[in-house]
Amino acid sequence: MALQTEYLVTALENIEPMARERKADGWRFVQMMAVNTEDGIDLIYSFMKDGVLQNNKIEHVRKDDAVPSISGEFLEAFVFENEVHDLFGVDIRDIAIDFGGNFYALAQPEPMTVISPAQKAAREKARAAAIAKAERAQKAAAANAAYVADHPGAKAKRAGGVIVPSDDGVEEKLKGMDPEKVARVRAAMAAKAKRAAAEQEARKQAELEEKLAGMDPEKAAKVRAAMEAKKARAGADAKEGE
Amino acid sequence: MGSFKLGKMTLSGLFKKPETLLYPVQTKTPPAGLKGHVVNDPETCILCSLCQKRCPTGAIEVDKKGRTWAINRFRCVQCGSCVRECPKHCLEMDPAYAPCARSVSVDVLEVPEHPKDAS
Amino acid sequence: MGKATVIPFGPQHPVLPEPLHLDLVVEDEKVLEAIPQIGFVHRGLEKLVETRDYNQFIYVAERICGICAFGHSMGYAETVERLMGVQIPPRAEVLRAIWHELSRIHSHVLWMGLAADAFGFESLFMHCWRLRERVLDVFEKTTGGRVIFSVVKVGGVVRDIDEGQFAEMKRVLEGIKSDYRQICNAFLKDASVKNRTVGVGYLSREDALELSMVGPFARASNVNNDARMLRNGGYAYLEGFEPILDDQGDCYARVKVRALEVLQSIDIIEELISKVPQGEIAVPVKGSPADGAESSNVVEQPRGECYYYARGNGTKFLDRMRMRTPTSQNLAGMVKALEGCDLADVNMIVLTIDPCISCTER
Repeated sequence: MALQTEYLVTALENIEPMARERKADGWRFVQMMAVNTEDGIDLIYSFMKDGVLQNNKIEHVRKDDAVPSISGEFLEAFVFENEVHDLFGVDIRDIAIDFGGNFYALAQPEPMTVISPAQKAAREKARAAAIAKAERAQKAAAANAAYVADHPGAKAKRAGGVIVPSDDGVEEKLKGMDPEKVARVRAAMAAKAKRAAAEQEARKQAELEEKLAGMDPEKAAKVRAAMEAKKARAGADAKEGE
Repeated sequence: MGSFKLGKMTLSGLFKKPETLLYPVQTKTPPAGLKGHVVNDPETCILCSLCQKRCPTGAIEVDKKGRTWAINRFRCVQCGSCVRECPKHCLEMDPAYAPCARSVSVDVLEVPEHPKDAS
Repeated sequence: MGKATVIPFGPQHPVLPEPLHLDLVVEDEKVLEAIPQIGFVHRGLEKLVETRDYNQFIYVAERICGICAFGHSMGYAETVERLMGVQIPPRAEVLRAIWHELSRIHSHVLWMGLAADAFGFESLFMHCWRLRERVLDVFEKTTGGRVIFSVVKVGGVVRDIDEGQFAEMKRVLEGIKSDYRQICNAFLKDASVKNRTVGVGYLSREDALELSMVGPFARASNVNNDARMLRNGGYAYLEGFEPILDDQGDCYARVKVRALEVLQSIDIIEELISKVPQGEIAVPVKGSPADGAESSNVVEQPRGECYYYARGNGTKFLDRMRMRTPTSQNLAGMVKALEGCDLADVNMIVLTIDPCISCTER
């Protein structure tokens, strides 16, 4: 019996009914916490029963929202509710043992809602990087489109085994990712395939020319024809393989 | 109900060697790999400043221009992440604990130029 | 019939090992109500996650508590590994479990010493701490630290234990076992211990369930919520695991549960040593947690179940790291157990929940 975790999202009005329901169903209160986000504070109430850890999230609670206490149902929640009140400034009403903001001796009010300069810088950096990545992905996609338009034969030739086999699996994976990442992965894949195809072409051409240089013209023509036939066969095989 | 359940152990303690050491007179040899303090070998150090980046407490300061490597022993928590990250393996954990000091001081190490490493 | 008065108790009370302040409402010698006051040692460690990346924060996590340091670093690492979808090698899992059980021994034996000190049994206190010292020596040899080990990293462990060290560990544990049985005998049979603990601070099974108690305090009231039952990590390699339960619900039962858990931990370590798989001890972890990814985890610390929660934001810094420690969960139960007790028994009851206020406030 390994630990299973669940993440549910509920509304602010649902807190008290949720607590009553969990209590009646025999869930054990695990904890209550807050996360400071840009759109407000997320509250997470966790319960556990039979190896299932359930996290109920209430998203974007604002400072002026009155949050009901669940310490009527679960007395042990008073510690966490006082903590969230002191550290995040969430207005939790009717706590069973209410310390009125004196639970922790703090040097400044609501310290957990202060966004430190380091965090701000990291966030901005991440955002800028994401934008740059999206731009790069766009450019790469455009370049790829242009390449395909310029070389109508490029795709057919590439079907020789460079990109096709991985395509389906990747598409499946891409569905589960966020759009930014998808764009990046797609661009990277296209670029890789393009490079590989170009290299392969160049190598083959060079080899062929090298060989042909040492042969008499008749033989060279035969070899060329054989190569074309082989390429066509390989393409057909690859398609069957799909 | 009984008392003196610990009697046997306490009495046998009279005839055993003490478990403690008379500290300044006797000292314990530190086991290998004890996290005592960080030492740097300036001969192999290339001042890459990776240790400075990885240090969770900001105890290490690397000055590339001045060719110095400095560690603040009062900030160092002996986590050993610099030793693991060092690409040249010039950092090492010495098993001896850092001695007591009366004031906060920074150990500065001059790192000489090694031309053959420049490549 | 006297008038109710309020007696402030702590934070620097000589019998309390932790900065826990209690406002005791007493009438004559009976405690009517106890209100815990904490908040003297809040250090803002959860906030530090914003300025330390996820690899560096492990050293902050293990400094939450001086006794269950290993448990916190392990719980943190497991949570971040869940967040990033990292599967650590089996050997690392078992090594972590071995160290974790060793720190349970060291924590429980330390606690038993403190309990002996609290009811005035000085020589028992010294014998307990003498044994604890041997466990610390094992830590010193295998991890390089005595209390803070810095031996866990995200993706595995830093140091391996070789066969020679395992043999040494087994030898030390056997030595501890024979001495410890005598200490156990004193704890569980001596009249002076029983006089102070039997029937004191009773907490019924219903109350323990109602208040969602965790750890040995709950197990002494026959509530089984040992997180080791989930068989996470290295515990999956055990043949079987049965937590130690007692149905008396008083201070004596709590002493007994902890006393027997030490012997159980020794057995667990010996079983794990015989089963430790060969192979790598760490996998490289690259990249950062995805934006908005969440993970949560529970670990059975010496004091009870500890909850961890992590949320990533796409950078190498985590958005939020939360540890809910067992003591904060047990505070309500402690208040309940204190109701109606004698003033002289307050320190014994507070001690049997094994409060760790620095854990509670972080």
